[in-house]
Amino acid sequence: MSAVSFANVSRHFGAVKAVDGVSLAIAEGEFFAMLGPSGSGKTTCLRLIAGFERPTSGDIRIFGESVADLPPYKRHVNTVFQDYALFPHLNVIDNVAYGLMIAGQGRKQRHAAAEEALEMVRLGGYGTRKPSELSGGQRQRVALARALVNKPRVLLLDEPLGALDLKLREQMQEELKGLQRQLGITFVFVTHDQGEALSMADRVAVFNDGKIIQVGGPEDIYFRPEVPFVADFVGSSNVLPEALVARLTGERCPAAIRPERLRLASDGPLKARVTGLSFLGLTTRVSFEAEGTRLTALLPQDAPRPVEGETVGLTWAADDLHLMRAGA
Amino acid sequence: MRQTFITAVVSSITAAAVATGATAQMTAVGEGEGALSIVAWAGYIERGETDKSFDWVTKFEEATGCMVSVKTANTSDEMVALMNEGGFDLVTASGDASLRMIAGKRVQPINIDLIPSWNTVDDRLKEAPWHYVDGTHYGTPYMWGPNVLMYNTEAFAEAPTSWSVVFEETTLSDGQSNKGRVQAYDGPIHIADAANYLMFHKPELGIKDPYELTPDQYAAALDLLRGQRELVSRYWHDAFIQIDDFKNEGMAASGSWPFQVNLLKADNVPVASVIPEEGATGWADTTMLHVDSEHPNCAYKWMEHQLSSNLQSDLSVWFGAVPSVPAACTDGRGMQNQEGCDANGLAQFDKIKFWKTPVANCESQGECVPYYRWVSDYIGVIGGR
Amino acid sequence: MSMAQTSDSFSQTRSEGIGTRLSDTLWRRPGLLLILLLLPPVLWLGIIYLGSLFALLLQSFFSIDHFTGLVNYEFTLKTYAELFTPANFDIILRTVTMAAICTLASAVIAFPIAYYAARYARGRWRAVFYLGIMMPLWSSYLVKIYAWKLILAKEGILTWALEGLHLNWLLDAYLSLPVVGGNSLSVSPTGTFIVFVYVWMPFMILPIQAALERVPPSMLEASGDLGARPAQTFRHVLFPLALPGIVAGSIFTFSLTLGDYIIPQIIGTSRLFIGQAVYQHQGIAGNIPLAAAFAVVPIVIMGFYLWGAKRMGAFNAL
Repeated sequence: MSAVSFANVSRHFGAVKAVDGVSLAIAEGEFFAMLGPSGSGKTTCLRLIAGFERPTSGDIRIFGESVADLPPYKRHVNTVFQDYALFPHLNVIDNVAYGLMIAGQGRKQRHAAAEEALEMVRLGGYGTRKPSELSGGQRQRVALARALVNKPRVLLLDEPLGALDLKLREQMQEELKGLQRQLGITFVFVTHDQGEALSMADRVAVFNDGKIIQVGGPEDIYFRPEVPFVADFVGSSNVLPEALVARLTGERCPAAIRPERLRLASDGPLKARVTGLSFLGLTTRVSFEAEGTRLTALLPQDAPRPVEGETVGLTWAADDLHLMRAGA
Repeated sequence: MRQTFITAVVSSITAAAVATGATAQMTAVGEGEGALSIVAWAGYIERGETDKSFDWVTKFEEATGCMVSVKTANTSDEMVALMNEGGFDLVTASGDASLRMIAGKRVQPINIDLIPSWNTVDDRLKEAPWHYVDGTHYGTPYMWGPNVLMYNTEAFAEAPTSWSVVFEETTLSDGQSNKGRVQAYDGPIHIADAANYLMFHKPELGIKDPYELTPDQYAAALDLLRGQRELVSRYWHDAFIQIDDFKNEGMAASGSWPFQVNLLKADNVPVASVIPEEGATGWADTTMLHVDSEHPNCAYKWMEHQLSSNLQSDLSVWFGAVPSVPAACTDGRGMQNQEGCDANGLAQFDKIKFWKTPVANCESQGECVPYYRWVSDYIGVIGGR
Repeated sequence: MSMAQTSDSFSQTRSEGIGTRLSDTLWRRPGLLLILLLLPPVLWLGIIYLGSLFALLLQSFFSIDHFTGLVNYEFTLKTYAELFTPANFDIILRTVTMAAICTLASAVIAFPIAYYAARYARGRWRAVFYLGIMMPLWSSYLVKIYAWKLILAKEGILTWALEGLHLNWLLDAYLSLPVVGGNSLSVSPTGTFIVFVYVWMPFMILPIQAALERVPPSMLEASGDLGARPAQTFRHVLFPLALPGIVAGSIFTFSLTLGDYIIPQIIGTSRLFIGQAVYQHQGIAGNIPLAAAFAVVPIVIMGFYLWGAKRMGAFNAL
């Protein structure tokens, strides 16, 4: 049984189709990421699971139970909000213990549980502070503790790391992943950052225009994008248009090739003009222009470097040219 | 006795304001100074701006060159304060304010020989105690009026003959109780109305003057007013609110002024007024001249003007008051006529006890309840104490 | 550019007239600027406002000589003792009770309106809403009160409307109740209450709305997400977060009711409120000490009110 399943779910706001016929199944214990640009429908999907939105059509099930008519307070899911949504008038321990208080637990018992949850996110002893006295990262952890203390069967995370600086974000990614492994709870994680999605999730759903474009493991998404949108959005792959692919391989479809898989070779099948070079440390990024298509290659430090303006030949291993479906 | 009365009224402000050569009066009226400023009640000095037909200023200005400016005052206290401040020539003072200003030497004696029309003034007003002190005139009578009993003619088949309809619960001729359908004046001076009623119905109390009450007489008046509280749904304060209440609240009777009666009649509301057998309280105003007036010639010209022109006649129509010059009712110089004067209370002069400030040291009984207690006790009565 | 030129242009700016030099001085000494900016309002507040308040306080410690009616300029607490005579204490109780009930009713009525405005009104509706709330503030206060007098009168609009609905027995039954009833609504305490609530409503709605607008929607969703039913969310999250707004609004409605002397004079039983007592003692009776003592009552009550509100934690979410 899936932890969460969508069957042809749509959510329309007037003429806007925020979610348009989405079907998916999230397995129990899975770390599932919903990835897409803003406005692609990923956050609405999360809100549909939480119950803040109701589907216009379609069926949503959580552990087999249809939740179309269940308000948020009757669903065994908890959410970590993008802005954390900590209650400013309560101190940290009461914030974390809020769900337990609502559930009717006594003060002593719920404070003990809350303290335990705070220790789990390494904030033991911070209970008496007000949320306004905490840093962004600390607030994020309080929000996490507040959700986890209720022992939800599914934890929803709405861009929880978006407001943190890079270093803190990387640290939190590790911690979140560790927590998920340790607790075995199903995590549904919404992000627009493909690096975040790929590094943390067991599976990733890529959203665009209210639809799911591709679902798969990080490697599938990264190396085997099914459509140009995924190739472009997820991995900044080079997308070769249909006409070019047809000339090179005879296949009538677009194709993707990772920048690190392009090599210089004077007899390469594709002639390209060098338009720019930038030094990245281990590699050098070289931009090309070939038959109206922009391409990027990452060249190892020891490879010979071209000069700007020079026309060179490009080549690749046949396996690395990944053929895709047209569209999207 | 009069002198002690005055001393008692003098306020602390006046002590500082005693002027030196205040008692010298004018001996001749010369050329006008070109200006005249008057402290007056609202509606007292009209120049046709509210209603074109009511104008008794324009002609005066044309004839004398004295340009009139008016400062409106809302209470007697305000009038006294303005006159203490100075900078004004004349004031239309009521009975309480007039004696305070005489005592405070804020106003100067009037030479009545310089007012040609003085002999046309109602004889009963020429030496009225609120402006004639120790043989000296301190002003020219302006207007007076009674506090009448106004009633709804649909509730009363015949005109009521006694104030009892506003003091005691009774069934009116329309078959309903007067409870909740009468009003009373929302000012401590209404205690005098109660005293006036008791003076007639309970002679054993020995009330001689409704403004001079011993503690026992005063207590009896308050008791009567406590009974009245049960009947009164709203005390009236503002003439226009009372008018509205007679239109929209089904009021049957109340003490009132001819002013409201006339306006309601003009609106075809079935009301009439009467001065009942007990008599009534009333007010009388006097034009008084400031001790340091900068325009005394214009002021004298105005005092002559107020007696001789259309002012008395038209103002009595406008304000629902009685002229101080009885001839103004009949000689056709303005809009007033005999009927109008009678309606406003002309013939009832003897039944009227004119308003004055109650003081502790009183003339008729020696020891009376002073005004400040009237104020606090009347607040208590209205509050249900 | 050479060094010589630089120092030349430097000295030029320095000789550029008094305005520039003043600006320079103020830039170097920001404290001076602050003093210059603050001095006039502080003087105004200090002398005019606090001065008059102090004069008032001072007056209340004098007494009136009961024989002559003159003010006796000696320190005494006699005047304050007079506040506790039954008639005067009635006035205080009556006013405070009315202020409390009006404040409570205003809050209850204003909350949903403010909530709607903060949460749901968008674009044009928002403008319409603001207009609707603010418009009563533009028209004259007296006009509104007289209009209400016409609505509430015995032969007024309300009676007429209820007669049309054959419901006037309901009004009659209500008016026959003791304490709140009367001969008609316009002469009953209920009438005074209705008009007070109406007139002060914008002062309650706007602060609550401002407070609610600062509550992010996610806060309420978070509460629901953690299992709270809407009523629990209201009690544990929305109400505490709106409380500063409610308290701010109630400070308006409470103190305005305490001080008003016009509404109870036109609508109601003619029983005095504190404002009227001040007006009558000062204006008609010349009893300035008692008027001053009465005027101190709302100040003291508001002091206790704010203290209580603070203790209740009304300002915690600020």
